[in-house]
Amino acid sequence: MSGFLQQVVNGLSIGSVYALMAVGYSLVYSIMNFSNFAHGGVIMIGAYIGYFCLTLLNVPFFVAFLLSAIGSGLLAVSMERVVYRPLRKRNAPFLYFIISAMGASIFLENIVIASPIGPTFRTYPAIFSTTPIMLGNIALGRIDLLMFVISTVSLAALIYIIEKTKIGLSIRATSYNIKGSTLMGVNVDMVIFIIFAMGGILAGLAGMLFGMKYTVYPQIGNITTKSFIAAVFGGLGSLQGAVVGSILLGLIETMVSGYFSSQYRDLIAFALLIFVLVAKPTGLMGKNTEDKA
Amino acid sequence: MLKVDNLNVYYGGIHALKGVSINVDEGQIVSIIGSNGAGKSTLINSISGIVKYKEGEITYKENKLPKQAHKIVKAGICQVPEGRIIFANLTVMENLNMGAFLRNDKNAIEKDKKRIFELFPILKARENQIAGTLSGGEQQMLAMGRGLMSNPDLILLDEPSLGLAPLLINTIFDIIIEIKNMGKTILLVEQNAFKALSIADKAYVLEQGVVTLEGDAKALIKDEKVQEAYLGKKSTQTV
Repeated sequence: MSGFLQQVVNGLSIGSVYALMAVGYSLVYSIMNFSNFAHGGVIMIGAYIGYFCLTLLNVPFFVAFLLSAIGSGLLAVSMERVVYRPLRKRNAPFLYFIISAMGASIFLENIVIASPIGPTFRTYPAIFSTTPIMLGNIALGRIDLLMFVISTVSLAALIYIIEKTKIGLSIRATSYNIKGSTLMGVNVDMVIFIIFAMGGILAGLAGMLFGMKYTVYPQIGNITTKSFIAAVFGGLGSLQGAVVGSILLGLIETMVSGYFSSQYRDLIAFALLIFVLVAKPTGLMGKNTEDKA
Repeated sequence: MLKVDNLNVYYGGIHALKGVSINVDEGQIVSIIGSNGAGKSTLINSISGIVKYKEGEITYKENKLPKQAHKIVKAGICQVPEGRIIFANLTVMENLNMGAFLRNDKNAIEKDKKRIFELFPILKARENQIAGTLSGGEQQMLAMGRGLMSNPDLILLDEPSLGLAPLLINTIFDIIIEIKNMGKTILLVEQNAFKALSIADKAYVLEQGVVTLEGDAKALIKDEKVQEAYLGKKSTQTV
């Protein structure tokens, strides 16, 4: 029994960080109808910002979190400005957005490799002791706990903004219909700016958390494939779906690794994605409200 | 109040509006009638800033009208679009709140909401319902209520009767007159020419991007060409 609970704890911790990244996909998809594959690049840069803040600037670790969130937010917003806005203004087909996103992702990865930072794996300085906190028979890793707390708090803040504030209302309206919200006086450029900023900030946090848990390297952004699966699994475009899908994916992964073998982990995760898409193409909680003609 | 002067709009190679000029006086209902594809919605969307125009000038209250959609709403012009485009994923109340997106005068917003619930009691009854579950007529009322929530001086109504049952069409047109009596100016685009002419003060006939007739609505309703082409009398070749 305690073995099972241990897997649940591990699954929640990893799943919550998947959620932190998955909502970035969902936010962009809900309004622009394409999957922003450059999101992994933003996470990678966030991980590096956190790393260099701690090693070069020697700032306290929460300041490092703040700086990587801000840095990634700025990067996400400028990418929208440079890469996607020109496409939007020309009403480019969505395929162009996806291809540009992939291009941007490869560009970010390679600019890091080509820079003095290089392709080496770097390890975050030890901030926490590696001895876990024991809760009965269950071991809570300190970094795992931090991952869970930071993710939960920031996701709660995001969902509060989306559900309870005027900005959030305009984001939900725009996600349903851009023309409709434009006619209400919503500046859609501003809404898109805000969703990229929010997605980028969360990506920065996620990047630093992953950096602390594993290591930092130029391909660390590839981990977003998992959160992309989670977002599709939960229903692209739905924030709640992205969170639920991520937590489920985290749980499934740790259960598979724990009870079978970690070799089967990705196999089962991807099989699940295909199965869900075949059975319910909009995902678990995807948007399907219809407009009456 | 609103002056559109020599407006030219192109969609790629298609010349959709060819030098259209119209004039809307304060407190009036001005109707634009014409068949499918005549350019009625293009005209309204150009005023709203959704469609970019190549030549021409739009003046509103003696000033040049801004070109960005949100600034146009701020200036006091709102559009109730064709097909309603309510936010089906939001509640009725949230839809109305979206209408007031650019306003910060809380008390006045609440007052306007009350007024809208008087005008459309059904919306009050459904205020917490998801808008996508409303019937077509209710959605049209929500779209009009949402438009009024911006407290506009000029309302652009694009095909409000589209897809509604005849009885409901009468209700909608009664409400349009009531909105006029609230002191609003209305520019109405309609395929239902008889209805549109009978409540209007002034009207324009748009054909293939050109204004072919204009004048007093009561006079146009008696015009032979209008009767033939749009009111179904003596119908020969035109639809």
